[in-house]
Amino acid sequence: MSYETNDLVTEESSLSERVAAAVVGLNVLSVVMGFAAVFQWTEVESEFFGVSLFNLYGLALVATGLAVIALGVVSRAGLVDTTPDRSAGLLTGGLFGLIGVVTGGLFASQTLGFGVFGWLPIALLFGVGFGVVTVLPREDIGSTLPAGALSIVVGALFLLNVVTTEWEWEPEGFSAAFTGPVVGPVLTIFAGLVCAWAAAKAHEGFGTRGRQAGAYLLVGLNAFGMLGVLLLLILFVAGKGWSRMVEGVKFGLFSEPAFWFQMPGLDQYVVFEIPGVWFYWPFTMNGYSLSKDVMNGVLPSIVGTVWLVIGAVLFAVPLGVGAAVFLTEYAEQGGFTRAVEIATNGLWSTPSIVYGLFGYAFLVPRLGNTTSLLAGQLVLGFMLLPLVLITSREAIKTVPKEYRDASAALGVSQWETIKSVVLPAAMPGVITGVILGVGRIAGETAPILLVATGNLQASRGPQVLTNFHFTSSPPFVANPALLDSISALPYKLYATITAGVVSSDPAFGWATALVLLIVVLSFYAVGIVSRIYFRRKLEQ
Amino acid sequence: MSNAEFKQSEQASEQATDEQSASQSMTVSGESQEQLKDEWTDYQFDGAPKISVEDLDVFYGDDHAIQSVSMDIPKNSVTALIGPSGCGKSTFLRCLNRMNDRINSARVDGSVEIDGEEIYQDGVNLVELRKRVGMVFQAPNPFPKSIRDNIAYGPRKHGDINDGLLDKLLGRAEPEKEDEIVERSLKQAAIWDEVKDRLDDNALGLSGGQQQRLCIGRCLAVDPEVILMDEPASALDPIATAKIEDLIEELSEDYTVVVVTHNMQQAARISDQTAVFLTGGDLVEYGETDQIFENPNSQRVEDYITGKFG
Amino acid sequence: MIGSIDTRVRSARTTVEDMDRGAQFVDGVAVASVLAALAAFLVAPAYTVFPLLAFFGVTAYGWKSHQANTAKLLMFLMTASTIVILGLITVYLVLRSLPIFQAMGLDLLLKTNKPLWSTSEGVYSLVPMMWGTLVTTILAMAIAAPLGVAGALFISEIAPSWAREVIKPGIEILAGVPSIVYGFIGYTIINTYMMEEFKLANFGSLFAAALVIGVMSLPTVVSVAEDAIDSVPESMKSGSLAMGATDWQTIKSVTIPASFSGVSAAVLLGVGRAVGETMAVTVMLPHQQVLPDPIYDVFAGTETLTSLIAGQYGIASGDQMSALFAAGVVLFVTVLGLSIGSQLIEAHMERKLGGSQ
Repeated sequence: MSYETNDLVTEESSLSERVAAAVVGLNVLSVVMGFAAVFQWTEVESEFFGVSLFNLYGLALVATGLAVIALGVVSRAGLVDTTPDRSAGLLTGGLFGLIGVVTGGLFASQTLGFGVFGWLPIALLFGVGFGVVTVLPREDIGSTLPAGALSIVVGALFLLNVVTTEWEWEPEGFSAAFTGPVVGPVLTIFAGLVCAWAAAKAHEGFGTRGRQAGAYLLVGLNAFGMLGVLLLLILFVAGKGWSRMVEGVKFGLFSEPAFWFQMPGLDQYVVFEIPGVWFYWPFTMNGYSLSKDVMNGVLPSIVGTVWLVIGAVLFAVPLGVGAAVFLTEYAEQGGFTRAVEIATNGLWSTPSIVYGLFGYAFLVPRLGNTTSLLAGQLVLGFMLLPLVLITSREAIKTVPKEYRDASAALGVSQWETIKSVVLPAAMPGVITGVILGVGRIAGETAPILLVATGNLQASRGPQVLTNFHFTSSPPFVANPALLDSISALPYKLYATITAGVVSSDPAFGWATALVLLIVVLSFYAVGIVSRIYFRRKLEQ
Repeated sequence: MSNAEFKQSEQASEQATDEQSASQSMTVSGESQEQLKDEWTDYQFDGAPKISVEDLDVFYGDDHAIQSVSMDIPKNSVTALIGPSGCGKSTFLRCLNRMNDRINSARVDGSVEIDGEEIYQDGVNLVELRKRVGMVFQAPNPFPKSIRDNIAYGPRKHGDINDGLLDKLLGRAEPEKEDEIVERSLKQAAIWDEVKDRLDDNALGLSGGQQQRLCIGRCLAVDPEVILMDEPASALDPIATAKIEDLIEELSEDYTVVVVTHNMQQAARISDQTAVFLTGGDLVEYGETDQIFENPNSQRVEDYITGKFG
Repeated sequence: MIGSIDTRVRSARTTVEDMDRGAQFVDGVAVASVLAALAAFLVAPAYTVFPLLAFFGVTAYGWKSHQANTAKLLMFLMTASTIVILGLITVYLVLRSLPIFQAMGLDLLLKTNKPLWSTSEGVYSLVPMMWGTLVTTILAMAIAAPLGVAGALFISEIAPSWAREVIKPGIEILAGVPSIVYGFIGYTIINTYMMEEFKLANFGSLFAAALVIGVMSLPTVVSVAEDAIDSVPESMKSGSLAMGATDWQTIKSVTIPASFSGVSAAVLLGVGRAVGETMAVTVMLPHQQVLPDPIYDVFAGTETLTSLIAGQYGIASGDQMSALFAAGVVLFVTVLGLSIGSQLIEAHMERKLGGSQ
């Protein structure tokens, strides 16, 4: 019953395999070209070797569409060795059916101008037709014919100048128009992916191995696409913000006396001088400036972010780690632990703006009725707490039970065991969790917007350390810096948008975004690297 | 220096300088060298071998897990691989259906032929290979599906049973054929009577011994030619073990069974021939089970079997 | 002889009792002072310092004399504070939103005819914002769920190890990009792009915002789904492969079904992220508290619950402020529900793979 051949060893690549590989390659290339046009790296009007971009898309799609159909036909005719299944399967059928519904519906409603009762049956008819053509024939025809046809039709739209760069379509009911420069590349990407998928199946001779190849191609492209988005994002921000960020950076050498001693006999001091480095980075070392001569910088925001993070960590880490130890080591596994678990997971997914509202209603009135650094630290601490708790619990749980048993068997008390065995072993995990958590709260904007920020025009950051003093009334210790509004990097970036700085000085916004990215991502990088390091160490 | 130690050090230096397989060097060497080598792997039998291994080396990173092993395994018999923990017998077993491909750091050199066809070469269809060479694992690993789905899994994946939604829609489904395969496999695995009334229950609800026989049945449903078993009874109680052992002996009438075990009594009970691996991935002696256990050629094997070593 | 043993036993017993009494004293005073500190902070924040000092004093004494006991007590208090924080958030959100619920009744959540949101008329309906949140979430998850799950599959099952070592940290770093940075890019680049290429009437649309949210919730879905897929035991996969199933068949028929609940929990968490995403939508959407016309026009500019709060907290007071808190309650309840739902699903998965079914 099986269509699998019983050869243990299959032959080296045949002609049809090479054709299939070429089709996959060409399609991936068209997809990349499509994205290039969507992202406006290439002008849609541009020409390559005297052929316009859209005609190039058309040629590629028609050629690969024909090739894919040919691969299917050659396999069906038994001219090459393949192992197709009886049918391409319901999933493939459903996908092509859906494409049929969309195509038919658009055609009937937009080109022919039918109303709902007109286009709906036509759409369904198209859908069922596409689905049946996919499902009923043997797999080699069913998976190539519709894909090839789709590719040829889309290609023809370009070659016959139906879809051009001037083409425009305003669907009823949407306040948007679909224009050629967007629709053309998107259609190309879609048809290219479908075609590449079919060709990948053909490359492995259809059947189970063919389906695996097709699926792996799509899943792999998706993964690398995601990575591409990441790189694009970071490089884009870096490219836009770099020149402003490093503008006016100066550094040089100066010498200072390092050590000296009296030369006996000469009665003179011999002074050794070593060179020092001075460094001036206006963008990160200046505050807000009104004068045109002094560059506007983000120092107060950086200092504000640093203090926010320090406060949140001081609040959340002891609390989180302590709670994690209690839950894992002391508490009976039952209703109470379950409740805490649900509470922490709930806290972890609570939107940051809700924390902001809470701080606004709970902390702000009690801390001087104004936005303040302290309120911001506490709210961010509340946000950090569940993350520290969850990661610490996981780290403590991974400490093997044998360690505890061994320690207990030596007559060591539970608390001593926790202190000297469990906590040290869990420390790497806890540290990594904290670093990643800090990365998250350092970039958080919504909560501090409501409870901490306001002072955008400070020339210097909050002076927390020098502002402590004692008072005669409770609470006896006062620190105005803690109770003042501050600025922070994410808030500064938000303010460039709301205050309209973006339109007058976009580079300032990009540079701020870049500094913020560098700060946050370096926390992440350190966290991830330390986790990898600790894991490697554990595995050795 | 005692005799045994002398032999071991001699053998180590031999291997360092000369990568020739033991069987080859044995045929050309005189009696004195045979004693120095202490390797007795040239087992002769009638008929063509089902599996033929030549100069197989396996490395995990820098770790040399299998050292130049050569052996021929006869058709429709039970071959036991025994040896102390870490001697590489499981690694060797996993080379026979290329399950070592799953481990990134593993590198395999040498040749393994099934029915004269090399399985370590470009273009080998792993699907076809593993259909022919089935495997049963140390711990029972049924899928979290019904008993029926577990058995029918392989045939469905290979298109031997049409069972998909599409087949049902088009009236191509073959419930009778599926029932037949399920019944045959479960009967062969000697578990049919215990589960025939609850084929649609989750397989994870079975006892450990039942789960292991289910896994054997699952393997038989694909109709393999060779069945590899990796300590199939080590996680089971004595009664379940006895059932598995009976089953293995029955299976050898139709299948070539290669079974890894650390239990020497078990090997003696169920196998037709036995291969003894000793530390470092060395195949030291291979021959008729009776001869290995009653009158081994190798001093080290005798030490191992009588419990003086290993 | 007998007498001396008796004394010794008795003296031993008294030390134990003494210790117990001392520890009990520390426990009692510490708990009382923490409760007093909480009460003081609620009523008269300036006086929080007294119970707080008492607490530090007694724990310092306890740490010296009964360290194990005090440590346990401290940790218990830390644990309890987690629940207290969740409780405080709930209480304060609900308390502050009560006035608007009294004023508007259920109209707050159901009113769909105009005016929907008007300070001058004192009418506040959250319907447009709830619709905006729903639309952006659905569109975002249409991007993030399939791509995220596929990405997770690639990382844990398909990728060669070198690719895994690059992509996995890459995705995690993607999760670290602050939402305001996405918002900034969305505002300056995507909104402009949409204006030019899609000829939008508004600067900013639900569609563009959803696109950005989709990219933002992608890493969450990938990481959590990858954990779920990774937790499927290797022996199960080997069992399938050893029968000659291909890797892809194994993924489809063994790995995905076995990790299905974990993967859906990942998607639910992603939904939670998308619902709660604030800054990107705040800067990208034009703040118009109206329903799109027609309702399915995803290119219209409206408002989400989160952007409403972030956009109006500065100018709101009285009923309007209360309405913002009501929006917070809706968000909080939704996300808490999603979180609990995903936990139940994960617990189900553990039971299933544990084999106790």
